[in-house]
Amino acid sequence: MPQTLQAKSPYPVGDFAIWIIIYVELITFGLLFIGYAIARRSDVALFNTSQLSLNQGIGFVNTLILITSSYFIVKAVQSIKKMPDNQHIHANQKASRWLLGAMLLGMLFLILKTVEFSAIFDAGINLSTNTFFMFYLLLTMFHFMHVLLGLVILGNIYQKSKHHGYTKEDHTGMETGASYWHLVDLLWIVLFPLIYIIH
Amino acid sequence: MKNSLEIAWGCLVFFSIFAFSLGYFGIINHFFVAILLLTTFIKGQLVIDYFMGLKSVKLGYRLIPSIWLFVVLLVIGMSYYLPIN
Repeated sequence: MPQTLQAKSPYPVGDFAIWIIIYVELITFGLLFIGYAIARRSDVALFNTSQLSLNQGIGFVNTLILITSSYFIVKAVQSIKKMPDNQHIHANQKASRWLLGAMLLGMLFLILKTVEFSAIFDAGINLSTNTFFMFYLLLTMFHFMHVLLGLVILGNIYQKSKHHGYTKEDHTGMETGASYWHLVDLLWIVLFPLIYIIH
Repeated sequence: MKNSLEIAWGCLVFFSIFAFSLGYFGIINHFFVAILLLTTFIKGQLVIDYFMGLKSVKLGYRLIPSIWLFVVLLVIGMSYYLPIN
């Protein structure tokens, strides 16, 4: 009888260690998100007023950037996983193009975030200004550093794919880096409405 | 589904435009915050299922980020809706 239901994989893709890191990061950011939401209750007016000085447009564009870069990463992984036989070099070239696209978007995210930070700092705002900006700077700068680390990881994966280093059987490193990048995306998906929209 | 990844990406873009529109047009109220939190949950779940690929993995690994997402958004919602003394 043909098997119609695909069996579930016992473990997530990539190195198992990255999933421990991902779950720890989720808890850390989760506590900060909850901390922000609870702190907001102590002075709703202050949070609402401070939020007006944020650039929602940049936050929105950055959301689209991260979502699309994550999509590019999945396409890169699929290029390797679904490569036809004897297409090893072509598949790696294809993957490297997707990776390059994702990295460029990641860099654009950092540039836009730097522009936003510059405007905030030029206005004389810092961590001590008030509770809202303490959380805003803490959360977004912490996330910024994760994007930066993600780009370093993607850079390494890109180099390996440029040298045709991934095969259909051996691409765990690429999946590991991809999983980390999706974490960065997932965190921003919660961060954007929480910090920029809800008031 | 063959194009599930593209559909997931399209939904993520659509919900992001929706979220931005709420903020841009200043139509944030109790009703729309609930919708915003719900769409944020759907967006997160799409990333978990289709980008992280946890849909095809044993349930436990998928449940951890899903429960995280649910709890975080639930607490955000509660802190928004509960009356302040």
